[in-house]
Order: sequence, then C-alpha cells, then structure tokens
Amino acid sequence: MNTFLKRLLARPEAILFFVLVAEIVFFSVAGRNFNTSDNVANIVRHSAEIGMLALVMMPIILTGGIDLSVGSLLGLCAVIFGVFTHEWKMAMPLAAALTLGVGAMAGGVNAALITVLRLPPLIVTLGTFSLFRGLAEAITKGTMTYRDFSPEFIALGRERWMGLPLQGWLFILIAIGIAVLVHRTTFGRAFRAIGFSPEGSRYAGLPVQRRIAFTYVLAGIVAALAAIVFTARLRQARADAGTGYELQAITAVVLGGTSIFGGVGTVGGTLLGIASVAVLTTGLKLIPAIALAGIGSELGSLLTGALLILALAGGTLAKSLAVRRSRRQSHAAPKPTITT
Amino acid sequence: MNPVLQLTSVTKSFGAVRALKGVSFDLRAGEVHALLGENGAGKSTLIKVITGAHQPDGGSIDINGERVGHLTPASAHKLGIACIYQQPALFPDLTVAENIGLRLEKTRSFARVDWPARRTRAAELLQRIGAEISPEAEVCSLSMPEQQLVEIACALGAGARIVIMDEPTASLTQKEQQLLFAVVRELSASGVGVIYISHRLEEIFALADRVTVLRDGESVGTNAAGELNETQLIQLMVGREVSHIYPPAEGAPGEVVLSLKNLGCTAGGVRSVTLDVRAGEVVGLAGLVGAGRTELARVLFGITPADSGEILLGGKRVSISSPREAIAHGIAYVPEDRRRHGVILEMPVAHNITMAVHHALFPGGWLRFGAETELAQKFIRDLGIKTYGPDAPGSSLSGGNQQKVSVARWLATKPKLLILDEPTQGVDVGAKSEIHRIIRALAKDGLAVLMISSDLPEILGMSDRIAVMRSGTLTAMLPGKSDAHEVMAAALGKEAA
Repeated sequence: MNTFLKRLLARPEAILFFVLVAEIVFFSVAGRNFNTSDNVANIVRHSAEIGMLALVMMPIILTGGIDLSVGSLLGLCAVIFGVFTHEWKMAMPLAAALTLGVGAMAGGVNAALITVLRLPPLIVTLGTFSLFRGLAEAITKGTMTYRDFSPEFIALGRERWMGLPLQGWLFILIAIGIAVLVHRTTFGRAFRAIGFSPEGSRYAGLPVQRRIAFTYVLAGIVAALAAIVFTARLRQARADAGTGYELQAITAVVLGGTSIFGGVGTVGGTLLGIASVAVLTTGLKLIPAIALAGIGSELGSLLTGALLILALAGGTLAKSLAVRRSRRQSHAAPKPTITT
Repeated sequence: MNPVLQLTSVTKSFGAVRALKGVSFDLRAGEVHALLGENGAGKSTLIKVITGAHQPDGGSIDINGERVGHLTPASAHKLGIACIYQQPALFPDLTVAENIGLRLEKTRSFARVDWPARRTRAAELLQRIGAEISPEAEVCSLSMPEQQLVEIACALGAGARIVIMDEPTASLTQKEQQLLFAVVRELSASGVGVIYISHRLEEIFALADRVTVLRDGESVGTNAAGELNETQLIQLMVGREVSHIYPPAEGAPGEVVLSLKNLGCTAGGVRSVTLDVRAGEVVGLAGLVGAGRTELARVLFGITPADSGEILLGGKRVSISSPREAIAHGIAYVPEDRRRHGVILEMPVAHNITMAVHHALFPGGWLRFGAETELAQKFIRDLGIKTYGPDAPGSSLSGGNQQKVSVARWLATKPKLLILDEPTQGVDVGAKSEIHRIIRALAKDGLAVLMISSDLPEILGMSDRIAVMRSGTLTAMLPGKSDAHEVMAAALGKEAA
C-alpha cells in the first residue's frame, strides 16, 4: 500500500488530481451555486472549445512541437463558416463540413512549413498565428459579425443531452479519440519517440515527418470544429473568436504533465489540466465578493499562471530532491546497477 | 635537461572503459614529440588531460618541474599550454587582429580598445611565424591553414611553452603542409615543446625528434624518431598479442546479398565503392576515423542517399532514399552512436526493440502489448540482455546491454544484410565477447554482415574478408587471415612492407 501510494503520488497527474479536488471542495463551500447541475453545464460550455484545442495540442507537444496558431485558426474558421452560411447560403451540414476542410488545409500549411521546409514549429505557428487572424479580419473588414443562425444550429451550443451540454459530449468523443490515438496506436508511440529523439526515430525507420505533419493537420480540423461550437454557443461568428485560446490550451497541456520538450505526457493528465483550469476560472466568478468586484477573469488568469508555475517548479524540485537523495544513498552504499 | 612537461602513470576511466592505464610521457623544451596510436588508443584522452579538459583519476603532472595538482583549461592556459585543433576555433566574422586581441588582451569592463597596439601586436606575431596574413583580414576569408597559423600566433602571443597540434595537416595541401612544417620547426627552435599528433607517418619522420606510441590506453614506448622505420612504427601501433578469443567462422559463404558498383555520394564523401557481401559472411570494414566507413553505411541505409553508382540486393538493382526503404529491402543498421541513434534511452526496452517492426507486429496500427512484451522477452533471452524487464527504460542498462537492445531492434526486422557500426565501442570486455558470439551466430544462420570497426583485433578476429577504406573509397580487399600490419598499412595508405 505504502509503495503503491508513493508511486501514485510520484506521478505529476496525481498532484493535479488533488488540486482539482481541493478546488471543487473550496468552491463548493465558498462559491454560490457551485454544486448545481446548471453550473456544471456552464463550466462545460465555457471550457469545451479550449478543451478541444488542448486535446489536439497534446500530441503536438508530445512530438516536441507547439502550435500557437489554433486560436487564430478558430477565429478564421468561425468567420469562414459565417461566410458559407450567410453569404453563400449553404446548408448548415455542408458549411460545417467545408469549414472542417478549411481547418485541415490551414493545419496542412503549418505541417508543410514544419516538415517540408523544416522550419521550427514555434516560428511557423507564430507566423500563421498572425496570418490566420489577419485573414479573418480581412474577410470581415474588422467589423462585420455574422448573426441570425438557425435555431437548430444554435441548439448545438445550448441544448443538453442526459444532463450534459452537447459540446460536452463532443469533447468526450474527441478525448476518447485522442487517448486511443496516443496510448493505443503506433501513431502515439511514434509521437513519443519523436519527442524524445527525432534523429533516433529516423534511424529506427519511423516516418518522422509524416507523423509530425499528422498532428498539425489534426489540430487544424479540431480547431475548425471548435470554431463551429464557439459560433453556436455565442450565436455569432466574429473575427476575434478564440483570441488567446492557444495559450490557455498550452497551459492546460503543460499543467497536465506533458513535457514541453516532448516525449512525456498522458491524455489523462491533459484532461485533469483542462478541468482544473476550467473549475478555477469559473469557480472564482461564483464567489460573491469577487463577483461583486468584477475581477473574476483577472483573478482567474492570475491564479492559473501561479498554478502552472507552482506545478512546474514543484515537479522540478521533487525531481532534484529525489536525485540528491539517491546520490546520498549511493555514497553510503554502492547502488546495485545492472551490468554485464 | 628537465622536461617542460612530465606525466607519470596517468590513469583515466570513463565508466567501465579504461581510456588511460597508467601512461607516462615527457616533453622537452625545443623538441617535437610525435604521439601515435590507432583510433581509440587514448591519444585524445591524453591531450585532454594535458589541456585540463579531463581530470586524471591517478598519476601526476609536472609542468616546468613543478607538480600541478588540479589542472583546469584556464590554469593550463596560464601555464603556457596551447592546443591547435584541426578545426580552428576562431570567430569567423572578426578580423585576425580582433581574434588575436580577444585571446590575448586582458579584459576589463568599459575599457577602451587600443586599436593601433592591437594591430601592431597581431602583425608582429604573424611575422614571427612567417605568415603572410593581413591583421585586417576577416577570418572567414582565410583558408583553413591560414586560420591554423592565426591559432599558432595566438599560442605564441600567450607565451605558450607547450604547443599541442592535433592532426594539423589533415586538410592541408602539400604546399601548405611545408609552410606549417617550417612554422613548427621555428617554434621548436625558439624552445617551445611541441606535441604533434598525426596519422601520416612521413610527417613523423620529417618533423619529430621523438615518438611515443599509445596502444589500448598504454604507452608502448618512446623512441628517437631516427631509431625507427615505418614498419616498426606500424608494428608498435597494432601490437602482436591477441588478448581475446574470437568465435571461429563456420561454413562457406552463400549467395551474394549485397553488391555495390562504383557507389558514390558527394554529400557523404563516399567515392566509387565496389563491394560484395555474401550470405553467411562477415565482411570487416576497416580504416581510420574519417575514412568514410560510417558514411558508406549511412548511404546504404538511406540517410544520405547515393548519387552515383548502383546498389544491388539479391541481384536486383534498388534505390534507397530513406531508412524506411532500406528496412523494406531487408537492410538493418546498428549505428555507431548508440545513445543518440541506436536506442531511445528514455523509452522502455520493449518499445525500443519493436520500434522498427511497427508494421508487422501491430497490424492496422493498433498496439498489441502482449505481443510486444513477448517479442521483447524473446530477445532479452536470446541475446542475454541484462535488464530487470521489458519495461525498464533504456537508460537503466549498461552500454553493452544497450547495444544488444539496438541489435535486437534490427534482428526483429529479420534483415538480409546487417550493418554494424563499431558494435563493441565503449562496451566492457564481457559484453564484447558476447556480442562477437551473437554476430558469428547470425552469420551462421545466413545473414550477411558488414561490420565497421576501428578495433583492429576485432576486425581481424571476426572478419571473413576485410575491406579497407581510405579517403572515402575502398583501397584494399584483404582475406580474413590477414596481418594487422597489412590492414594498418592499407588504412594509412602505405604499401605493406
């Protein structure tokens, strides 16, 4: 039991799990109406899009890459979806399908720059981060907003099924898909190997560039999906949709124990990361004093940042302590190592 | 006369590998002392001990008759030790005078640069070594030998009494070489002790006063250069005794598996290689570091694809432009750099072993953990990999066992041709003979093996035939029962005496 608990606690996800539990307990006591099903639905609605982006960010970071363009791509796809439905009078399913295609193409642009021209992902997606947002603003001339979507479409953003908002179900589906991809397929195995050592993976005959490209295209498709969900929730498509979402998604992934250097991480951890950020930011707005002062979102981002830094520092500290301890032990008695 | 540098019984180990086993060496003022030895004989380690880059485990160092306790690169510099490397470490975008100034001037914050003094000094130093280089020239506009001269000028300016030159002529033309020789003679005439490392025997005889030969981390003797001829030198380098029992070859080789016809790769520096490897045969690929052996392996494995000539596998012409294609054609490559390319240290043994067989083992891309563990356990058993289990991370294994994991990964692909690049480098003696036994057993089962090795006894002990490379091409094809001396002579580009 003792060792089992120790091993459980050694996982970065375990700490995060306790943080999440602590958050829930705290807000149940201090917040107003935190423990209601309406509030849970509210948290899910407000976090689903960022959550989706975090889920597809996770394989990218696992390969040692990064995608700063997903938030901007969400905005671009929202606007393009509006153009399809309003200007070109397309049926909703067709417009949605084509928007997903646009997302895939945008992700393909990132993928091509990174894997064909071998440019660093940080620089490439920093470029498309501005490029996609700029395109969205050019299409709407910076002012236009598409409204008046059909009630059936808006239902996607408002309705619940079995108590859970529809986008919550969509999020769960994507989470299962990503978890299977990362933990049960050769794709996930390759992501991890590439994250640890791209050169070593190449020498092992893994299709390194193709696998990397896949993660960025997947991110593009899911960003488009998130754009549609976002549009349904707000009942409007605007060029500034999803501003800053990329950083929140990255925060959730890294908080969830995925190493920014690649190789290490679990989808379960990412889910915990998403949940603890979501609960923190929404929970704060339910505390009367904070709500009254109107500083809920400011305090939310402040505490999210603090949480991220504490989690990283805590992990590093624990590791260096462990190293120091084992070193001291190895001084006292030679540590048994496996040799030939 | 007191030596300027005296090393006594210096030892240095890296993990299980004993790089220096009690080397004694002395350098007199005004002499050129050549240091010779095969790859891995311990030359670079010895140099690094002298320059303070490595701390010796045992033995003592005296400089100018005084015992030096703890030598660091900074204190070595102060004591007048300078090292000129093959690749000069200058700032390419700065001028010669600026580079010399940066090395020699004492730096203070916010001090003004005395430009005329800097230029005068640079010009003076360059003139002293007879170099016709303008102090105003940018370093990137200089040729490699000119840059070496700038390095030497820096060493002189720093008042170096001990100058180490590590294969300084490797990239020089004949004429540049002569100029460099003149400078070296100049240095020694002015009382500087020069340690000169080179693989070119004729240079040793042209320059050196004394020669020390290292072999397997030990000094096998210091002689006056005039007392030795080339044959004797080669003999000293390769030694005579076989300290290790190699498994015997069995059976006759079968069909030709791999056939290369004038294979070349400009980017990789491989020129017109023609070679056959048969099933059941171990072909040893010998040569000095930089002779193009690893480069040839990289061409065959599609990392730097060939741009001329032909590769025939089983008689059929193939083109190989990526490791995946090579694997599909039944070629396996156990790379030289085990820690960077051979295994992914952070990943478990099982994941490492199955990494090249994802397609065959995991149909449809679905991981089958049971099958994976089973395959890993089979290889752990068959190759005698010492690990606490398939889940153990690669980093928890010893070097020899990591190497076995790397071999296992490639055996899992059921290859027709296995290329091994320095299969026992940095591996302890026990694991070494086990790896040799495995290689021999694989050949017996009909695998064609191409084994690159800088370990001459290993080449001689394991190979059915020995291909020797020099400057990117094959220079000799020798029978397995060759003499160490013949192989070394071919690798050095000498006629066997």
